This record gives sequence, C-alpha cells and structure tokens, in this order.
Amino acid sequence: MNAHIPEYMLSAFAAQGVDTTKLVYAVHADSADRAGNTDVYMAVSDESMYILYGEEKVVKTAGARRIVALYEAKGFDVHPLCDLGELTCDCLLSTARLCSEKDGSTRILLVYSIGFLSEIERLIKVIKNIREGASPLNDVHIDDELFCPKCGTRYPEPERRLCPKCMDKVSIFRRLLGFFGHYRSKVAAVFLTMLAGSVFSMISPLAGTKFFFDEVLTEGGSRYGAILSAVLLIFIVRVISVGLNTLYSFVLAKTIPWIVQDLKLKIFEAMQRLSVGFYTSKRTGSLMNRINQDANNIYWFFVDGLPFVVVNTFTFIGVIILMCILNFKLAIICAAVLPIAVFMFKVLWGVFRRFHHKNWVYNSQLNSMVSDSVNGQRVIKAFAREYAEAMRFADIGAKQSAVDIGSINTGYTAFPLIYLFMFSGQVVVTAIGGSMVLRGEISLGTLLTFIAYLSMLYGPLEFMSWVSNWWARCVDSAQRVFEIIDARPDISDPEEPVILEHIRGDIELKGVKFEYDPATPVLKGLDLSVKAGKMLGIVGKTGAGKSTIANLIARLYDVNEGSISIDGVNVKQLSLAQLRKSIGIVSQDIYLFMGTIADNIRYARPEASMEDVIRAAKAASAHEFIMMLPDAYETRVGAGGQDLSGGEKQRLSIARTILQDPDILILDEATAAMDTETEASIQKALSELQKGRTTIAIAHRLSTLRDADSLAVISGGRVVEYGTHRELMQKKGEYHKLYTIQLEGLKIINMEA
Amino acid sequence: MESAVRAARTEEAASSLTSAIDIGFLDLRNAEFYVTAGGFTGLRYAGKDYSRITLRRALPIGNPMEYISVADKDSKEIGMIRSLSDLSEKQYDIVAAELDNRYYCPTVYEIKSVKDKLGYVYLELVIGRNGNKYRKTCAVKDVNRNIRMLDDERLAIFDVDGNRYIVQSLYELDKKSMKRLEPYLF
Repeated sequence: MNAHIPEYMLSAFAAQGVDTTKLVYAVHADSADRAGNTDVYMAVSDESMYILYGEEKVVKTAGARRIVALYEAKGFDVHPLCDLGELTCDCLLSTARLCSEKDGSTRILLVYSIGFLSEIERLIKVIKNIREGASPLNDVHIDDELFCPKCGTRYPEPERRLCPKCMDKVSIFRRLLGFFGHYRSKVAAVFLTMLAGSVFSMISPLAGTKFFFDEVLTEGGSRYGAILSAVLLIFIVRVISVGLNTLYSFVLAKTIPWIVQDLKLKIFEAMQRLSVGFYTSKRTGSLMNRINQDANNIYWFFVDGLPFVVVNTFTFIGVIILMCILNFKLAIICAAVLPIAVFMFKVLWGVFRRFHHKNWVYNSQLNSMVSDSVNGQRVIKAFAREYAEAMRFADIGAKQSAVDIGSINTGYTAFPLIYLFMFSGQVVVTAIGGSMVLRGEISLGTLLTFIAYLSMLYGPLEFMSWVSNWWARCVDSAQRVFEIIDARPDISDPEEPVILEHIRGDIELKGVKFEYDPATPVLKGLDLSVKAGKMLGIVGKTGAGKSTIANLIARLYDVNEGSISIDGVNVKQLSLAQLRKSIGIVSQDIYLFMGTIADNIRYARPEASMEDVIRAAKAASAHEFIMMLPDAYETRVGAGGQDLSGGEKQRLSIARTILQDPDILILDEATAAMDTETEASIQKALSELQKGRTTIAIAHRLSTLRDADSLAVISGGRVVEYGTHRELMQKKGEYHKLYTIQLEGLKIINMEA
Repeated sequence: MESAVRAARTEEAASSLTSAIDIGFLDLRNAEFYVTAGGFTGLRYAGKDYSRITLRRALPIGNPMEYISVADKDSKEIGMIRSLSDLSEKQYDIVAAELDNRYYCPTVYEIKSVKDKLGYVYLELVIGRNGNKYRKTCAVKDVNRNIRMLDDERLAIFDVDGNRYIVQSLYELDKKSMKRLEPYLF
C-alpha cells in the first residue's frame, strides 16, 4: 500500500512509533515559521495525519534520487482525522499555511514555503479521498512522477517532465539532425564540398609558398625557373578552392531554409493540438515571438555555425598535422602559444556575453516602451505626459549607451592586444625558424609555409572559442521548440470515444470544482442543469466563474472534480470533434481571421455554399452592413484588413455560428460591449439562433436574459439561487438585488436623457 | 503663463476631488488587534469582532510600515492604518508580526554556485531567517523576469516552484557571490 513512500521516510516515522504499514501517502515539505527552515515529513493513514519536524542530511549519489543518511527528529505531531476539520491552504507571499477549520474556528497546522503548495494540496486530496471512502490515491500524483526516472533529478517543472540533466545536448542535436533526413543528398553535397574546399585551402600554402620558393626559385629545385607554370598552379588551386566554397554556400542556401520551414510547420501543427490552458499559462506569454526567435537561432547556427565548425575543425587538425610533417620542433613551439590564445579568447567572450545580455535587456525595455507609447498615445496626450515619456526613454537609452560604450571599448582594446600576443608568437616562430634556415636545418620555403599555416590556425581558434556559446543558444532554442512539439495536450479524446447519433442537448453539471491556478478555486462544487431546447440564463458578479462554465462545457478545460454530462454522457467520454461541433459559442471576444468576410462566416463549414453564407448573414442582421462595403462579402478583414465596429464583428460571429448550426448554443456576454441600439438588433439575431436549441446565456446585463426559461445566480463558485425570473424576484435575494440595482441605473439614464 | 494657470487649476481640482474621498483610516483608539487561539490575527473594531483579518501593505517595497490595509476574511476592507507608528507598542507587535509572516521571504546570504542548463539557471543559495542559515538549490526560468531588482539595493529571485528569495543588499554580498550573480543583473 505504501510502496511509493521512500524508505527513509518510513524509517523516520517508525522511529516515532508509527505503524508504517498503515501509511498511505507521505510528502516532504518544510516549516517556514520564525524558527527558520526545518525538514518536515507529513504522512497520512486511514486514521491520522502525522507531521514530523527535523533535519535531513542528504547524500547524493549517482543514479539514486537521494539517500538520507540521517534524520534528526525535533518534533512530532499526530492529528487524528476525526479532529481535523476542512483542510485548506492559505497562501501568503512566499509561504503558505495549512489550516484546519472546524466548528467555526480555524487553526494553523503548518507554515511552509510556497514551493511545497502542490505537495500539501495532494496530501489534502488524499485525506479527502479517505473521508469520502474513495481509494486514497484516486486522482493523486505519486512522488515518482516528479522525478526523472533515469537520473533521479527532480523535474524543475513537474508538468513538463523535462530533465535538464538527461536531456543532453548531443541527443537534442541528433534529433535536430533528424530534420535533415529528407535532404540527405544535399547535406552530403554540402559537407563534401566544404571538406574539399578546406583541403584546397590547406594545399594553397604548400603550392603558393613552399613549392614556389623551394622548387621554382631555388637553384637545383625540381621545377627551377618554371615561374609561369608555378603561378598557373597557384591560380588553379585558388580557383578550385573559391569554386568549392561558392558551390557549398549555394547548396546550403537552398537546403537550410526548407529544413527550418519543416521545423516551423511542426511547431505550428503541434500548437493546434495543444489545449487552451497551454496558451493561457504564464510561460507562453510571448509564444509566437519566442518560436520565431528560436527557429531563427537554429537557422543561423546551421547556416553560419555548423558548417564552419566542420571546416574549422578539419582545417585546424589538418594544419597541425601538416606542420608536424614539415617540422616537428617548430610545430611544438606553435602549440605552446595556442592554449594561451584560446584562454584569452574564452575570457574575452565571457565579458562580451555579459555586455550582450545587458544590451539585450535594455533593448527589450526600449522596445516595450516604444510599443507602450504607440498603443497608449491617447492616454499620454490626455495626461500631457509626452515629456515624461521621452525622459523615461532617454533614461533607459542612456543606460544602453553606457553598455554599448563599454562593449565597444573592450572590443577595441582587447582584440588588438590578443592579436598582438598572437603576432608575438609569430615573431618567436620567425626568429627560431630564421636561425634554423641560416643553419640549413630547414628551407626558406618551409619557414614561410610554416608562418602561413600559423596564421591559418588563429581563425579556427577564435571561432571555436565563441562557437560554444552559439551552440548552447541553439540547443536551448531547440529544447524549447521540442518542448512544444512534445507537449501532451491536457484535453484529448478518450481511447474509445462515444459518438452520439444525435445530440438532444440535455446538460448537467454535478459538483463541479475548478481552478485555473493552484489554491485559487473558481468553481467550488457547482450543480446546474438545463433541459434540451430550453434556455438557461447565468448571472453573477464579475469573476464569479460564469465564463468558466462555458469553457468547461465545451471542454476547453477539464473539471478538477465533479462531472459535466451531455445527454447523460460525461463530456470526457464524448468524441472531442463531435462535442466541439455540437457547441456554438458566441462570446464577447470576437476573433476574425485574415481573409474575406465570406471566409470568416463559413469558418465552421468551409463547404457551405454562397447562398448559405448570405442566409446566415441575413439571419444575423449582418447582410445590410456587408452590402454597404465596397467589396461586400469579399471585403478582407482580420489583421491588416477592413476595420469593422464591435457590433459588426459580433454580427459576423453570430452568422458564423448560425452556419455552424450547433445543437447547443452558449452566449457568453455576447452583447456586453454593445450600445443599446446595436444590442437590440443583435438580440433579434440571437433570438433566431436560439430557436429549438439548448441555450446557455451568460450575461451581466439582466435585460438580455428576459427570454430565459430559468436563471441561475452564481456567487463564490456556487449556484446561490435558481428559478424563473418571477420566482427569483419574489425570493428577494441576490437576483432581486442585482435586478433592482440595474433598474435604478436605467432610470437615472432615462431621466438624464 | 496660461499653461501654468491651467496646471494650477488642474492641481486644485484634483486636490479637491481626492480630498472628497475618504480613505477610511481606522480610528486606532477604538481598534484592538489580537491573536486568536488558532494563530490568526483578529480585530475588534466599531463594535464588531473580526476573528480573522488580512493585513496588506500598499507599498510593500518602498514604505512597508505605512498605509496598511486591514480586510476581513472575505477580503473586504475594514479600513487602513496610516502608519504602524500610530499603534501602541503591544498592538504594534501583533500587527508587525502578522505582516512579517505574510511578507516573509528567505534572505539570500550567499550564492554558492550558478549553473546555466538548457534554459534553466540553477542557483545554490545559502538562505535563512534571523541568522539561521541553510543551503537550498533552486531552478530559475526566464532569468530576465525572475531575477530582478526591487529597488537600487534589493534583488528578488523567483524560482520555478513559486518561491521568492531576497538579496537584502547587493552591496553587502561577498565578492564571489556577486561575481556569480553579475551576468544576470541589469
């Protein structure tokens, strides 16, 4: 039963006299009260909750998650479950409190770091399961899922299941290379031409210097005096070298963009599969920008980085071998200079990285400021803040300039110094080599060739010293890209989805609990039902969870607890495609895609005829304004297209839903942003749409719910009132209060008018 | 001249408008803060007994001891305290302790190592409270957002688990820690 509770925890509880065979779940937390940090083990049995305070000594070993060498217990509390009331987590800034509420009084059981919130919430869930007689670990993640099975490292973000240790750079790189699969012949051509180009570059000094000086210009040389043929040979070697370089650049330019295009397409396809929750989570705030940036990082590494890594590595090794063959003694002297140069380059690039980081930060701040200024021009002018905004911009600009100056100055002073150092190495080689020439140990051609090769080494050295940063950035980008490609959607079809022949539209929500963020419940056990073909109005204050209900019925999110069923079948069992096609949502947030008005209306049914499109537009009271536009149904809307008013867009959205012909209609504050006249016209269109369909209308403005068969008032995540308009008015409760306030408001407006 | 007159008029109008709105400062002579048996802070005020109140700072970074909002357990504001110095010593201790608990963040004393791995920065920190120090390794993602200056001196680090750590003074950090942190500062 407790197989997943680590041995060291069981031992610690056993030392306190706890019968560990009865423990069903345990978590590791801390105690963040005034005394400071304490390692806390918490465990649950069918009868009690145990809290053990102490200090854990951890020894990490390869392959094992962690081995606790010693646990020194300092305190132990036993809380019988029957004495505990409702357990809740009270979140503070960086800590949280586990509270027990019973008989109207609340007590604090533990103060812990907020990072342990999810662990404690899981423990509360286990206790709840025990109290309800369910299996204790029902819907509870066990600890094993939080650690990498390969190396035992805790996942930085458990929901991502990505282990930075095991997701090694080589395997990511290998996976990236997988994208080259379709282009094998072109990639092979690129590498062959690059390598051939390198060979010819390396031959150049031999032909142009050693051969020319030792064999052509020196008396007794094998080609003495044959200057024309020697020059011709040098020229041919050079032409071939340039030709090969041009060829490889050409093939590369024709290959890499296609590979990056494949990558972007894969990301885009993966994005379509992901659930809404993925997009609304904090870490995907600037998803598109990031994807473009990441794809570009990968692109530039493969275009500008990788080929030169191959060429430079090949050249470096080749030149060293050639130098050793030419003269081993001189080669050793050169080798002594190289590590110092590499070290100097490394240090310098480290400094530059800091400058670039600061520059990048200031640059993004400036970009945000420009964006703020462009979008907020009306506010800036209305509050006469033009000068203040310019000063803010100047302040950040000045900081960026200071970083730029530092960066440029460092570059201008450090690089010449490094090159001077490298030149001094060359001077040493020239001096020693010169004396060797005088002593007749080597020829003049050999020395000059040597010096030429030495200068050929510095390029690859410099490149290698900073390409590692580039490589790290590429792998980092690739990891983020694969994170999206590999992400598993939270909402997916069941293995054997139920496909209903016809959806009548009976909807029932039972004990629905839901939260977008941990410890901030939006719905707290909501019960609601609507019969097929009837209209249910949902009212409540802002933030009461009205739109969440719409999201849950359409399965844009899944409930945390409870169930939602349509025609008696849990939505989690229904085919996702059928469910989404059967539900039409008209919301306050209207999105028109780039394309014509006709394209947008037939978005849900691309095969719809033009006559159907016009019919839908007429039913949505959109036809008249569409015909007033110069290009009528062919008017381009969306980004960069024709500007439409909110009412016009909403009518297009209704036309789109009419054409979809859904079995269930959800109107989520569909007319909230409209003026009274537009609202009246849209209401007419909506009434047409509602005929014969189950309709759930969510509205802040109660006047829009006058046709509802029943009304539900939501407050604090629960239904607090339910009934017809007349029943609720007679009850004189929350609905009556809202209705009276709105009526009073309307009276004042009418009086002023 | 005209703009100066207009500015003066605007200021006068704004002043009269804001002064017409009551902030709702608590009459501290009639307020009694106390600690409940369960460990929460309560308030007796204007004939009512609030058994669990929430205290929130209006200026938690710049002026943490002034403008404190006092709300009931449903987060409805009961009133504000202009300055904690207006409270009696005993009352001050209760309110300050509750604020200290709510706004407590471990202090970073030392940075033992910083490793950049595949988009995460792993920091091995020596953190603690009231001089009680211990080591903790945390992972930070998106460092530009999650390692940031609170003011000219203090730095906040937010890890992927939602924990928050504070470097109380960058100038008091040892040289090695500062060097390790420097690439992530701006």
